[in-house]
Amino acid sequence: MSDPLFDKDFLKKLDYLNLIAKRLVFGRQQALRQSTKKGASTEFKDFRNYVHGDEPRHIDWAVYARLDELVIKLFRQEEELDLWVLLDNSGSMNFGVPSKFDAVRRIAGALAYIGMCNMDSAGVLPFSTELSDGRSRMRGRRCIFDLLEFLTRLNSDGQTDLAHVARDFVSRVRRPGLVVVISDFYGLQNSQRAIDQLRFFKHQIYIIQSASPWEINPSIRGEMRLTDAESTEHCDLVVSDSMLRVYRRRFEEFHTQMRKYAMRYSIGYSLATSDVPFDEFILGVLQKGGLVA
Amino acid sequence: MNLLSPAALWLAPVAAAIIALYLLKIKRRYETVPSLEFWRQLVSETQIRSLFRRLKRWLSLLLWLVIAACLLLAVGNPVFTSSAMKPQSIVVIIDNSASMQTIEEADGGRSRLELAKAAVGDILGQRPVSDEWLLIEASHQARVLHGFTRDKRAVLDTIDDVTPRTVRGDLQAAVALADQLLTDKDQPRILIVSDGAAGDVRKLAEADRRILHWPVGRSDDNLGITDINVRALHERSAHFVFLRITNASKADVEAQAVFEVDETTVKVEPLLVAGGEEWEKTVVIERAEGGVLRVSIDRADALLADNEAFAVLEPAEPSTVFLVSPPDESFFIEQALLAMQPLVDAETSQTLSLQEYEALGQLKNHADVVVFNNCVPETWPVGGGAVFINRRPHDIPARTTGHLANVRMDVTEPEHPLMRYLSFGSASIAAAERVEILQDAQVLARSADGDPLIFLYQRPERQALCLTFDVLETDLPFRTSFPLLLRNAVTFFTSQQKRWIGGHYVTHQVVESRRHVLPEIEEITVVRLTSAGSETETIPVTAGRFWFNGTGTPGVLRFEIGEDDAYCAINLNSGQESNIAPARPQQPAEDVLTLSRPIAGVVPWLAFAVAGGLLICTEWFTYHFRWTE
Repeated sequence: MSDPLFDKDFLKKLDYLNLIAKRLVFGRQQALRQSTKKGASTEFKDFRNYVHGDEPRHIDWAVYARLDELVIKLFRQEEELDLWVLLDNSGSMNFGVPSKFDAVRRIAGALAYIGMCNMDSAGVLPFSTELSDGRSRMRGRRCIFDLLEFLTRLNSDGQTDLAHVARDFVSRVRRPGLVVVISDFYGLQNSQRAIDQLRFFKHQIYIIQSASPWEINPSIRGEMRLTDAESTEHCDLVVSDSMLRVYRRRFEEFHTQMRKYAMRYSIGYSLATSDVPFDEFILGVLQKGGLVA
Repeated sequence: MNLLSPAALWLAPVAAAIIALYLLKIKRRYETVPSLEFWRQLVSETQIRSLFRRLKRWLSLLLWLVIAACLLLAVGNPVFTSSAMKPQSIVVIIDNSASMQTIEEADGGRSRLELAKAAVGDILGQRPVSDEWLLIEASHQARVLHGFTRDKRAVLDTIDDVTPRTVRGDLQAAVALADQLLTDKDQPRILIVSDGAAGDVRKLAEADRRILHWPVGRSDDNLGITDINVRALHERSAHFVFLRITNASKADVEAQAVFEVDETTVKVEPLLVAGGEEWEKTVVIERAEGGVLRVSIDRADALLADNEAFAVLEPAEPSTVFLVSPPDESFFIEQALLAMQPLVDAETSQTLSLQEYEALGQLKNHADVVVFNNCVPETWPVGGGAVFINRRPHDIPARTTGHLANVRMDVTEPEHPLMRYLSFGSASIAAAERVEILQDAQVLARSADGDPLIFLYQRPERQALCLTFDVLETDLPFRTSFPLLLRNAVTFFTSQQKRWIGGHYVTHQVVESRRHVLPEIEEITVVRLTSAGSETETIPVTAGRFWFNGTGTPGVLRFEIGEDDAYCAINLNSGQESNIAPARPQQPAEDVLTLSRPIAGVVPWLAFAVAGGLLICTEWFTYHFRWTE
């Protein structure tokens, strides 16, 4: 009988990670977490000419007295920050020992918990070809149990269409938030286009690329028929050591390109290998920074 | 090619198993991967190399098949012959006679017997398992050590127990025994594993094509005592020791013969023996009180067993001789006896008339020898010896059938001790009796027509030398020889009657009592005298006689019979065994037996095993360095 995906130990680790997150990230960044939008706080930001429909109580009467022009005082608006975890549950994620999908579900649960406790809301949206409803705008740590139950029941199947998912996401979520995309990102060009789309809509993005040890260093040799986990297409080949050397180099380049892409656009990036415990991974992410701008 | 262990063919399916494993190995395996993105790129890049890789895999299969073949051949123990080998019935005659104790320095200081055992082991290992084997030991007598069997291990175990014997071997008897045992056997073969010293192997092999000689040994460096004989010289209270030493090598050998009596050196004789020649000498040892004589050659050679010999020097004791004769006819014989001093005790010996002799009663038995000249007693004494001249008692089984006149005498037994040193030449006898011998008696001299003139009648309790003529009726040649004949008779009878046993035996000869043992003596103690001490054993007396067969080792034995002691010497005394130069067969036995020949200096099975091992190592390295798949 396999270990349960989320056990008591997992919950204990969540609390510990939450404390670490408060100390490392959210404690000192609360003040910085301010919107560029102008709103109704007490902090002055700018003036602009009065237009019809503006709230008369925002008119700066002192300026009107001096200049005989109606101007409106603008104040910095405090904005809510939502955390969205886009979790790839396509067929390719159900691979490896330990399973990539198990590893990323734990990571998604942990991030959502931290978001629920320290941010305004958190949501986990699984996707393969389509974006599922998942769990959205969860507030408070009580929601964690519902989320964990949801993640436990979640299956991995189907193909990935991240571009379509991104389009769907931006159409659903207008208000920019922190979007953590967890996937293996096969089909790099498509993936990057999808990330660009999220970026254009002012979302703050963090990429977690998942890989199993087998993918990094495959242990196959000889006459093989390889079947794609998502499309069930197959490929016959004779795997040799030299071929494996080339494969490892290509896979490393694949990760490197993803990392470089992320750096270019100030996107947070982490590689999550499925044999690394989730708490260790989250801790690394928090220490490295970039999860919250 | 033939396999000595055809059972190895049962391993042939291993090759099929290898092919099956190979097919399993090259069978396509299925694996699910998250994405084919990278693999498809790799396929197009490495397609040409894949073809080459397939070839390398075939090379791997080939290598494993060769390995399997090597291992199969290693187990099967192949012999490369042009024709099929038929199972044979092979009698192995292993020579364990004295010469097989020769140490071969060139072969690591091992004895020839050890080499013979190793050779038999090799031969057994190089013949098919279907052969039938029988093992015969050829020492002084042929003996079957193991009956026909196909169990080579049993034969090897038996041959391990074969011990060397210091004895003259008898290969002829062993071959005769083998011949009997091979009756009705298919493909019979007699394999003599010997140095050839135990018999003329070449002649045996020429006479019987089934016989093969497997020669053992190379050395011929041996100087051995091949004969020793002692004769008491009573008139000088001394002993003549005749010694013969044989040089088996081709080179001249210089050494010394050391004579020790009761462990005291009494004489040293320098020797120079030419290659392949013999050295003979009669040495006088003056030792009136007698003793045990040990003669040794002070030279270490390949065969030590014949470097020493033993003899018993009997103490010189004069004999009492009674001459019973008509007084006017005794002079000639009386003078002959007087000339025999000190062999004859002048004080106790006497000349008697027949009446005086009959009146002696029990005193008759005091004489060691009684000479009856032209007279016959009523009863002749029990024990001792008698010489009957011209007349003889009725209980001697010979009948007078007539008379002979002017007959010439021919000696028929010149080697007999009684006729030793006699040369009658053309002696003739004016008148003699024509005698017909009714029972066994040894005729020592005959007339030209074959009529017995001198004969010896021997029974355990008495013995007599009979002359069928009057000495005074002979001519000068006989008369001059007669005192010597009389002397031989006194010496012969006294030595025969006094001794319980013979003075000299060869190894493994049975010592048999010559005299009846008193009924109250039920067992005899035999003491083996060695330089390190003595070993004692007892033997039973059966019907007044005893037999002792523990004569396997040269040395001196003392028989304690009641209050009497009797000594005898045991020696190898075999020129055949001392001539250790090995005989060489005309045709190598390995050719006839079609034994496996070495490959690169090692036996084929080992060569294949080594090749298989090397190929396995090669395969391991090529696989782990990815030269093969």
